[in-house]
Amino acid sequence: MATSFRQTKLLSIVSSQLNSAACLRNIHCTAACLKNCAARIRVAKGDYKPVTYEQAYHPHHIGHRKGWLSQHTSNLHGEDGAAERVVEDVFIRRFMYGTFHGCLADEVVIKRRGNLLVICAVMIQKLLPSKFYFLIGYTEELLSHFYKCLVKIEMQTVEEKMVYKYL
Amino acid sequence: MAACVSSVRSVRVLSKIIHGHFLPAAAVQHQASSSRWLHWTRGSALSPEVSLTEEPDALYQELSVRVKGHDRAVLDSYEFFATLAARELGLTLERAFEPRKHTEKLTLLKSVHIFKKHRVQYESRTHQRCIQMSRVTGSTARVYLEYIQRNLPEGVAMEVTKTSVEKIPEHIQKPLWTDCTLE
Repeated sequence: MATSFRQTKLLSIVSSQLNSAACLRNIHCTAACLKNCAARIRVAKGDYKPVTYEQAYHPHHIGHRKGWLSQHTSNLHGEDGAAERVVEDVFIRRFMYGTFHGCLADEVVIKRRGNLLVICAVMIQKLLPSKFYFLIGYTEELLSHFYKCLVKIEMQTVEEKMVYKYL
Repeated sequence: MAACVSSVRSVRVLSKIIHGHFLPAAAVQHQASSSRWLHWTRGSALSPEVSLTEEPDALYQELSVRVKGHDRAVLDSYEFFATLAARELGLTLERAFEPRKHTEKLTLLKSVHIFKKHRVQYESRTHQRCIQMSRVTGSTARVYLEYIQRNLPEGVAMEVTKTSVEKIPEHIQKPLWTDCTLE
């Protein structure tokens, strides 16, 4: 009984001391960004893999050798809504990748003009044109009901993927 | 920049938009003369929409359009387009200049867990352009701004500042000390 009482007394002393200034520790958090990993395709050993223009240039070339994949005004100084646009963009890209599975030649470009959402995509001629038209109509209808704004898809088809270089 | 006018010109406004061709508003100087100018373009199939109002038109001392974007080339071409449109519509272009670009820099940790010494820097640049026009009427400004805004490229934001000209309120038109007699 005496030992347990002593233990509880020690515990109370320790806990009270933990709250004093000498024992406090601050947690410092910053976002960790994979600057040296994200959106970079590196040279690998073995077979050469084909790489498009978009994939060949690294993110620090945006604005100099590459354009922007998603064009909206929320990242400008003094404008808000960046987080919502990012979430919408991610959803749209996944939706396009899933609906036109295996047909996308390059990344989807998303442009926002007022109330209009324009999705520009380059496709490989894998499906019949009638099937492409159906999928375009389906995507436009579904996304316009989902986002409550006008959605237009501008599509261009290519025979095969455009290879810029081999890494 | 005087913001007060002693006499108000009541202006009859006639603005017409035919087939995508925008015309400047024709203003009548005096109320007494009832002549109205009508501008017709080359014959079009669609019937023209003419709106006529009796209320006086707003007058703007200065119309300032500021555009912001990430890409300087896009803003260059948009400035060329806006100045060309202003010149065609007969607006007096005061000046078109480029305010300093704004850069937002973030310094973050490169790694998820430790390695405090290794950081990563990101930056986001916002370029700007400002086009200022002076002595514009309200209907002209509305037409011009609608045309400009319909053709705004994606990824570009616009801010419009209008400085309007108002009549001096009646209660401060005459100084108080003229009414009171000096003792």
